[in-house]
Amino acid sequence: MNRLLRTSAIRLSLRYAVLYMLVAGTGLAVLYWATSRYVDAQIQAGLEHHVDSLKALYETEGSVGLMRALEGRGLADEPENHRFVLYMDKSGGRLTGDLKSWPPEAQPDEQVRNIWIEDNLIPLAMEDHDGYWPSIATSFPDGSRLLVAQSVRQAEDLQEFILGTLFATLGMIISLTLVLGWRMGRQLLARIDQVNTTAGKILNGHLDKRIPLSGSNDEFDELAQNLNTMLDHINRLIHGMRQVTDNVAHDLRRPLTRLRNRLDVTLLEPRDPDTYRESLEATRNDIEEVLKTFNALLEIAQAESGHFRGEMEMLSLSALASQLGEMYADLFEEQGQQLEVAIEPDICIRGNRQLLAQSISNLLENAHKYAGAKAHMKLSLRHDQAMVLLSVSDNGPGIPKDRQQDVLQRYVRLDTARSTHGNGLGLSLVSAIAKLHQAHLALEDNEPGLIVSLRFTPMKCTSEQ
Amino acid sequence: MHLLLIEDDREAAAWLIKGLQAMGHVVDHAADGEDGLHLALTGDYDVLIVDRMLPKRDGLSIIRMLRADGNLTPALVLSALGEVDDRVEGLRAGGDDYLVKPYAFDELVARLEVLTRRHKEQVPATQLKVADLILDLTTHKVSRAGQIIRLQPKEQQLLEYLMRHQDQIVTRNMLLEHVWDFHFDPQTNVVDTQISRLRSKIDKDFGMPLLHTIRGRGYRLSENE
Repeated sequence: MNRLLRTSAIRLSLRYAVLYMLVAGTGLAVLYWATSRYVDAQIQAGLEHHVDSLKALYETEGSVGLMRALEGRGLADEPENHRFVLYMDKSGGRLTGDLKSWPPEAQPDEQVRNIWIEDNLIPLAMEDHDGYWPSIATSFPDGSRLLVAQSVRQAEDLQEFILGTLFATLGMIISLTLVLGWRMGRQLLARIDQVNTTAGKILNGHLDKRIPLSGSNDEFDELAQNLNTMLDHINRLIHGMRQVTDNVAHDLRRPLTRLRNRLDVTLLEPRDPDTYRESLEATRNDIEEVLKTFNALLEIAQAESGHFRGEMEMLSLSALASQLGEMYADLFEEQGQQLEVAIEPDICIRGNRQLLAQSISNLLENAHKYAGAKAHMKLSLRHDQAMVLLSVSDNGPGIPKDRQQDVLQRYVRLDTARSTHGNGLGLSLVSAIAKLHQAHLALEDNEPGLIVSLRFTPMKCTSEQ
Repeated sequence: MHLLLIEDDREAAAWLIKGLQAMGHVVDHAADGEDGLHLALTGDYDVLIVDRMLPKRDGLSIIRMLRADGNLTPALVLSALGEVDDRVEGLRAGGDDYLVKPYAFDELVARLEVLTRRHKEQVPATQLKVADLILDLTTHKVSRAGQIIRLQPKEQQLLEYLMRHQDQIVTRNMLLEHVWDFHFDPQTNVVDTQISRLRSKIDKDFGMPLLHTIRGRGYRLSENE
């Protein structure tokens, strides 16, 4: 309850309630004032009209005719009008009418005036009450006087009714604002509670928990979505870190152990300088390998996490692939292999030149290493429907179909790769770099051999490329 | 050469100094950024070796201060930060070369040599010449003993780099970086193949070999053995 009062929603709704009250109150007050004026004007016009008609009657039928008409009208026979009359002769004798005597204030000036009417002037049967009644008094040539007074009761009734309606409306507006504000506040709280509960769970170590979405695509959903994306990202980073730690431990322990063993054995007994040198050189080479593995692991983790600070630029993949193809073709040829380079010109993508070069180089070096001594390899870059397809294929032993997906998994290596020279992280790095470039990496059967392909989204080459 | 080493890892610095002295260089050492800046501003050095992360003042800011002061002493930045952009940042700050830790000692030495040479030869030449091998920089023609040699564009760039650093040892990584602009280590000896191709064109049909392989370190283009 306390919390609910503290929420901004309830505060806002209270503020709005007050504001609405002011606005509606002012509006209703104006309405009330206008209605009163209208009623007053109606009464006045009615009175004037009534007096005029009585005067006309006097002119045609004289005093007697007027008296007859007034008597025939009966005692306040128009109770809906609550109009009271009094007709008196010139000496002040009461001739006829509803009122009992002439109020002292009334002057026969034919003007509508508010005249104080005492209770004792009103016949009991009328059940009316005293007050300032709008009245008109007039005198006739024979000295007789006529007073027509309008009871204020009808106007009061109307005013009361209007006021009542106005207050009821005001009350409804306030309570509606409060109720709606209250409900909004509770809904808001419920949504925030979800965020809080999730945050609490995550704090308690359930890193995979996410904030549920309401599906309404409102600001809260957007907030939840953003928080979830952020959490996913953080999770990936943490995951990457863990992977790196695990893999550094796994991949470096073996060579480091080997290194240590060699040094231990060398130092076991005095040796001649040549043996020391040999041992130190072997150690240096081992360290070189350890460092390469270490760097590859770091690069993979960096690319995998999507955390890459390097520049992504428009570049010509055609130029880059040609350059690498040319560079490696000579090397492969020298070793009895063949590299065919088939590259469509002017294919540009958005990417990081160094990472892409490393990917292509890794693919070429993999083919070179695993495809066999006389292998025929092909580096190709071409348009493929809406995408561009970069592929390195060979006619070597390939990778068994059931293991093709495995090698794309992080750090999964085939046993054959372990025994070969190199750290075997080449394809993992390619996979990570592909992900960073939103490229799709696929392994296919070349029958015989392997095709590794990367599908990029092409961009329009600008003149610089 | 008179070198200034600004490096806060004292043990690494001690080994580095030992190695550089063994090669005949005079080395001053500063263990933090402020000392380093002070020495660099007051001393006269051939090359500065600056670690990127230092106590008191970071390495890039030392180089920036020096450059702002008009001091153009070549600086080699050493760093444990190896991402592509870190390198760019290092070079933008006014560093002349960037070496990611851990590096091979030979690599460091080769780069130091190149930096001093580059600093000294400021006059733009119209042709490069090693013995009877000539690369004309205006016509882009290569000839040896008066005989025109046709080279592929990459071969020509490779030759130009080697000629500009004649008599110096140039490592494989230096070639990859400067000729191909690749900053990663290939697992294969792809550079060697390119070198031997170049060698077959400029050396094979001529008596005296100019392009030498220095085992375990790199290459040197020189008329001396």
